[in-house]
Amino acid sequence: MIAGPDLDSTLVALADPTRRAILRRLSRGEARVTELAAPFAMSLNAVSKHIRMLERAKLVRRRRLGREHLLSFEPAPLNAAAAWIEEQRTLWTARLDALDELLLAEDLAAARNDEKEGSSVD
Amino acid sequence: MTDENRATIRVTRRFSASAERVFDAWLDPKTAGVWLFATPTGQMVRVEIEARVGGAFCFTDRRDGEDIDHVGHYEVIEHPRRLVFTFAVPKFSAVATRVSIEITATGTGCELTLIHEGVLPDYAEGTVSGWTMILEGLTATL
Repeated sequence: MIAGPDLDSTLVALADPTRRAILRRLSRGEARVTELAAPFAMSLNAVSKHIRMLERAKLVRRRRLGREHLLSFEPAPLNAAAAWIEEQRTLWTARLDALDELLLAEDLAAARNDEKEGSSVD
Repeated sequence: MTDENRATIRVTRRFSASAERVFDAWLDPKTAGVWLFATPTGQMVRVEIEARVGGAFCFTDRRDGEDIDHVGHYEVIEHPRRLVFTFAVPKFSAVATRVSIEITATGTGCELTLIHEGVLPDYAEGTVSGWTMILEGLTATL
């Protein structure tokens, strides 16, 4: 049930369509800031802000090559988020499995009772 | 209210038991205590259910000598189709989340769909489809 601060920043970073699009582009390979900004109808400055958020969430890494800044995708935090979501889903699945078992056990007990009493009352 | 858009976790399951029995299992303290917030190693020491809209519930599971409360209140009770309640585990997080269940009769059994929203912080655009897409899409490309 615990969403740590790291997980929170991952989730915040992912909660925006522009940032998701940036990650999708970077998942295909390294890119310059200007390349990343090109498809978006927003200023370079606005795109840079999104990139900085992704960097803070450690989803994007920046390296300098001479005067160029190259950005790349860092999947590790994403895997942690996916694992956490999966864990929550597993928790509910297990609870519903337990409910099903409980109801089946009730049916079984009722059937045995009926047999004993020789009746077939539901 | 767009429950669907704010959904974060969705689970569907079929039961051979009737919709009535599956529904009642959520609100009957004796039954719910056995399966709902119980853990294999914990011991359910207290189950209080005020089964009315606005009513509260508290399940206390003792784990390693520590009492873990599961609390919330009921927002919708439409027997035997729909149940909505808030849910928090104060020990771990003060954030209240919302659980909605819909039960549809299928022949002699039923199908239950559970949506747990607000499990993740509540973001305007963090839809479950967006999530699934980004997480699956990105991991697939790695």
